[in-house]
Amino acid sequence: MSAQSDHIAAPAAAPVPVTRRRLTLGQRLSAGLAHVVWIWLAGLIIIFGVLNPFFFSTSNIQNVLVQATVLGLLGLAQSLVLLVGEIDLSIAAITGLSSALGALAIQSLGFPVPVGIALGIGIATLIGFVNGLCVTKLRMVSLIESLGMMITLQGALLALSKGNTITDMPDSYNWIGQATVGGWPVMPLVLLLAFIVMGFTLRRTILGRSLYATGGNAAAALVAGIRVSRVKIIAFTLSGFISGIAGWMLASWQMAITSNQGDGFLLYAIAAPIIGGVSVFGGRGGTLGILGGVLLLTVIHVGLAIVYVPSFYVTMIGGVLIFVAVAVDALRVNVLGEG
Amino acid sequence: MDGTPLLSTRNVIKRFGGVSALKGVSLAVEAGTVHGLLGENGAGKSTLVKIVAGLHNPTEGEVLLDGVPLGPVDVKAMEGHGVFLVTQEPAIVNPLSVAENLMLGRWPRRGVWVDTRAMYRLAGDYLEGTGLDPRGQAGRLSAVDRRKLNILRALHSGGRLIILDEPTTALTMADRKVLFDFMRKLKGEGVTFMFISHYNEEILEICDAVSVLRDGDLVAGNRPVAATTSDQLSELVLGHGLDLFSRKGRVPVAESAARPGWTFTDVKARGFAVPRLALAPGEIVGFAGLPGSGAQELARAIYGLLPASGTVTRSGTAKPLPRDPAAALKTGIAFLSEDRLKDGIVGIHSIARNISLSSLGGLSQAGVIRPAREKVLVADFFRRLSIKARGPEQPVGQLSGGNQQKVLLSRLLATHPKLLILNEPTRGIDVGVKEEVHRLVDSLTRDGVTVVIVTSDLDEMLRTVDRVVLFADGRIVGDHPAADLTKDDVLDIAFSTAGRSGPPRLRQDQPETIAS
Repeated sequence: MSAQSDHIAAPAAAPVPVTRRRLTLGQRLSAGLAHVVWIWLAGLIIIFGVLNPFFFSTSNIQNVLVQATVLGLLGLAQSLVLLVGEIDLSIAAITGLSSALGALAIQSLGFPVPVGIALGIGIATLIGFVNGLCVTKLRMVSLIESLGMMITLQGALLALSKGNTITDMPDSYNWIGQATVGGWPVMPLVLLLAFIVMGFTLRRTILGRSLYATGGNAAAALVAGIRVSRVKIIAFTLSGFISGIAGWMLASWQMAITSNQGDGFLLYAIAAPIIGGVSVFGGRGGTLGILGGVLLLTVIHVGLAIVYVPSFYVTMIGGVLIFVAVAVDALRVNVLGEG
Repeated sequence: MDGTPLLSTRNVIKRFGGVSALKGVSLAVEAGTVHGLLGENGAGKSTLVKIVAGLHNPTEGEVLLDGVPLGPVDVKAMEGHGVFLVTQEPAIVNPLSVAENLMLGRWPRRGVWVDTRAMYRLAGDYLEGTGLDPRGQAGRLSAVDRRKLNILRALHSGGRLIILDEPTTALTMADRKVLFDFMRKLKGEGVTFMFISHYNEEILEICDAVSVLRDGDLVAGNRPVAATTSDQLSELVLGHGLDLFSRKGRVPVAESAARPGWTFTDVKARGFAVPRLALAPGEIVGFAGLPGSGAQELARAIYGLLPASGTVTRSGTAKPLPRDPAAALKTGIAFLSEDRLKDGIVGIHSIARNISLSSLGGLSQAGVIRPAREKVLVADFFRRLSIKARGPEQPVGQLSGGNQQKVLLSRLLATHPKLLILNEPTRGIDVGVKEEVHRLVDSLTRDGVTVVIVTSDLDEMLRTVDRVVLFADGRIVGDHPAADLTKDDVLDIAFSTAGRSGPPRLRQDQPETIAS
């Protein structure tokens, strides 16, 4: 029986053209690398789970999702700018300063809570818009422009807070970071919503296509009728807007705004999208990959703590991962010739 | 010279996976000659060149230098043997000087320092008579001087056989002549060239012998150019006679309310001024002129790529010139860039995305793209222009030049243009596809589309356009039916460098009003 089926199978397999197989190998490899983040994620989850079964507990899964929310939002904010071939180092500083201004407006000036929150997000959006103007109209290099903006905003937050931590925000301000429904925190829903909106925007809208085209080849996009400067300004502005929301999330979750609020997130917010396949050269990357990158970094962060790796080592391992992420990006572009 | 070719290949077979790119090629390049290599995209030309340059090794067969088999080699080894490949995009370090580039990485040293004085002295001697200033900054060199510098660098490194891969791309007619004179001079000094080009005329002008590849076979080897015509070359390349397209038999489209023409008035920008230019519906107009003459500038200004003041009138409505390409597309103007890679394709993105890029508005509702509509559009053009690719999802950067051009033309046509501005539409694409492009453009004009072609390929321009507008020094210096012009007329009026210092030499029937 088996001999017979071998006979039947053999001629069927033979006519498959060899060329076809060769071409799909390269494709498969690059597709694999784009999604390699999910393989790493699955592997790490299993390793951490084996080392400490508590990793699979409901409370830990909730913890991972909550921790992933702020990083996820900042990862999306950074991705928008990376997609158009720029970078924004100021997103984490926007997060800190905008939430502090919003909270102080409520506490010191007596603004209603929703107005204070909107004010903070509005300021964040405005800063993003200014970044966009500087990079397009003044042709400043985004790396240095946003570095200057980052230091300015960090300094402003320090000056504003005089080094003190802002606490005692109203409960309604903190609700989003503290509320639970049926024992599950509400905050990850914001992350989910943000990823759905972003995914739809990138895949299905003219804006999404314009972002990719601008990052893929700005000169070609311009000739093809894309208003490249406008697209870049939109990318920076939306990036500021999302950073503002992330600022509110972070403040309400921690119930505090420190004088260096948000700073620790910057490098991870750059690393997460790149690990997830967003190219630092622009024009390449997708929402699912970004989500994978965010979850991966969060799982590492939480997992290393759960398996009792001393916190002194956690940062070092995070650094190694950024390094690996960029190496993977270079491999995809240079070795597989997709650039 | 003693009968043994400088470089030859013996029955070279190259397979990639299961595909044979070369099926037993025996090439012979005689010393002290310019040897042309012709063939369509995909005929095996670049594979053969890469084998000769040491980038690939043959699957079977061997490469011989001075009659001696070489065995497996790499680029370094071939360069050691004096074989250098000068690619389409010359690798020059812009911020460095000409001399520094000439001796790149092999500068004369004193200890760990570069001996600048010795470098400039040596370079000065070496560059004497070439017209290159050793102290000049490489980034400021003209396109043709960059080609020269690359050739000189290869020679300075001990090159005997220089392989030039489409060296005339992006060169003007005048520059082409300079390059060819330079090659002839070096040939006289014993340098051997392999010259790759899509243009039969160039092969016939500069080469002593030509080899033609078709589908991985050498269909003509070391054939003397003196006894060969352009038609014969086309036939060798294609495997059948080339039916050259001509606009001679066209029926003019009448201007009507449904098919209005275009009138541009008072177009002014830095360095050029055009008082009035009218384009009829269904007309193909050639713009001819040197860079900076206004031909290229007017085309870019009409499309909103060059800031300029002026008015465009259509159906009696006068509007200012479009302020950017997005606005130009809305008024029905589409534009093909001369440099596909620089500002044409988005190479990392798919064919589908490149085709739909300029017509997303029509494929969407409230900013949301309808995937079904996009699919239909892409499939339609894929078939209509017979794009050769694995499928609409293949990245455009992986396609041949001709297919990339088809993708760009699809992008333009998807916008339903009423005025099509084509910049060097057939540059770097093989002869068969060229005629396809001309026929496509011709068929569009039957529906009243006006076409502007900007090209430095005058032979082609004269047989494919209805009217030629000649530019020099930022103004129009001639406007004639193509049938009344010869290539020499165009060269005289628009491409003469004399026009730079004095008034352009005009023909007798030149309209007086235009003369400056």
